[in-house]
Amino acid sequence: MKKLLSIFIPVLLLAACSGNGDGGQTEDDGLTEVTFVLDWTPNTNHTGIYTAQAEGYYEEAGLDVEIILPGEAGAEQTVATGNGDFGISAQENVTQARLQDVSIVSLAAIIQDNTSVLASPEEYGLETPSDLEGHTYGGYGSPIEEETIASIMQADDADIENVDIINIGDTDFFTAVQRDVDFAWIYYGWTGVEAELRDFPLNTIDFTEYSDALNFYTPVLITNEEMIENDAETVEAFTEATAEGYQLAMDDPETAAQHLLDAEPDLDEELVMASQEWLTDVYQGDAPYWGHQERDVWENYMNWMYESGLIESELDVDQAFTNEYLPGGE
Amino acid sequence: MRRISSWSVIPPLLAILAILVVWQLAVSLFDIRTWILPSPLQIIQEGMEIYPRLLSHGLATIQIALGGFALGVGVGLLLAILLHLMPRAKESIYPLMVLSQNVPIIALAPLLVLWFGFGTLPKILIITLVCFFPVAVSLIDGFRQTNPTLLNYMQMIGASRRQIFFKLEWPSALPYFFSGLKISATYSVMGAVIAEWLGAQEGLGVFMTVASSAFRTDQVFVAIFVIMAISLLLFGFIMLMEKWLVPWDTDRKGADDDDE
Repeated sequence: MKKLLSIFIPVLLLAACSGNGDGGQTEDDGLTEVTFVLDWTPNTNHTGIYTAQAEGYYEEAGLDVEIILPGEAGAEQTVATGNGDFGISAQENVTQARLQDVSIVSLAAIIQDNTSVLASPEEYGLETPSDLEGHTYGGYGSPIEEETIASIMQADDADIENVDIINIGDTDFFTAVQRDVDFAWIYYGWTGVEAELRDFPLNTIDFTEYSDALNFYTPVLITNEEMIENDAETVEAFTEATAEGYQLAMDDPETAAQHLLDAEPDLDEELVMASQEWLTDVYQGDAPYWGHQERDVWENYMNWMYESGLIESELDVDQAFTNEYLPGGE
Repeated sequence: MRRISSWSVIPPLLAILAILVVWQLAVSLFDIRTWILPSPLQIIQEGMEIYPRLLSHGLATIQIALGGFALGVGVGLLLAILLHLMPRAKESIYPLMVLSQNVPIIALAPLLVLWFGFGTLPKILIITLVCFFPVAVSLIDGFRQTNPTLLNYMQMIGASRRQIFFKLEWPSALPYFFSGLKISATYSVMGAVIAEWLGAQEGLGVFMTVASSAFRTDQVFVAIFVIMAISLLLFGFIMLMEKWLVPWDTDRKGADDDDE
């Protein structure tokens, strides 16, 4: 019952609180209060934020940042209503959200390349998209999953019609693939690294190998339009301090990982350290600076979504992202 | 049926209509965006558009809801009768029953998946778990409310335990049984949706997850309306059954029939 309520309540609360999106409030100590909404439970995608917090970058920038976990409503809705000032989303969500009038904007690409993959235990022998035929996919309940898998299967002369799709919700990957599911969608930098540590050999299928359009930004840092309009200063301060946090994560992964562990002591230390090491070179990739977003990446993926029928109209991508607030950005 | 005059349906319908009108007006007056709160008209329009998809998801949900409901009622019924006939057992088992309702489904569901996978079984178990309780508790209460004078009388004339149960205790507990059934019926649909939420191939729970992750609040509301309609149908069906099976009690109840 609680779970069901949890979808009603945020919707009602959001309705009640809408229009109150004018950013943080100033406290007595002169710091601006800022709420930051994660996309998931804390993990190494978030290290830069925890690092900026622990190293005092936010405080130096005049911000008092509170990090919160997303409820069932998701970071996008929370940020769009102004109940959160900043948050983490992904390019596909920003695109879908904006077309539904959820006015969020991407401020930075946290990771340059799409490191999410389709993963399965090695013994199942699923090496290419065509191997997926006759198998069961465990999804997390997003409309883009089926189309994405369909398109890479098509590129490999196979048909998604021959794949069973089950929504596995929040079920842990390792549990799922040992039950009724053969493969699932994971972030390699977290679950893939965990598999390495557990000595659980995986086969992975990389989307970007089959379609350039699928090399989208996931995750990204977001805020809402009103925030940019009314309080660009805070947006800039926050984005810069966050970038500084990620810079440290790249220069000194061990210290950064330790900050994440200090903030979230329940995380597995070995996994955090290994995952941080794995992400070191991946955060910035080939980009000129951390967080940089290419217009082409936004445009190509949006076109792909449009052609796949995932979105009903085209999106003006120039409003969906900006590099303006990044140090080094234009 | 004889007793529900067509007039008694009108006040609740008017109330619903009033809520919808206020809702519609509020949304257009305050210019609330669709993803925050869609208007009833938008929801109806969306519902008509996605009707075929909704139908197959709805049928999947109804199937497991009914399966779980049937099993839950069966378990509740058996348990209540057993505990009533064995007062000693009742002392030790009744608290366990209450405890079973304190297990958070959110915590239990992933474990059920771990044990039984993503098939029908774990979902049916979840629904059974939420459905058996109202039936068992209200039935046990019902047995306790048996008229002591009549009971005394039957014992005096030498009626057997079996006769006392079937001629007196069971009929007098029937109205309570139906109260429990009505609560369970509404729970069963919600239980099914929650169960699907946590892992399923099809069903309104899956539909809602996908809709909300695509920011389609209008579709989420369509699903909510469908869930309400299914619950209402089940509820209505049980009320009809009650009127048919417990005609002697409908006079007394009448007013307090709508307990939820």
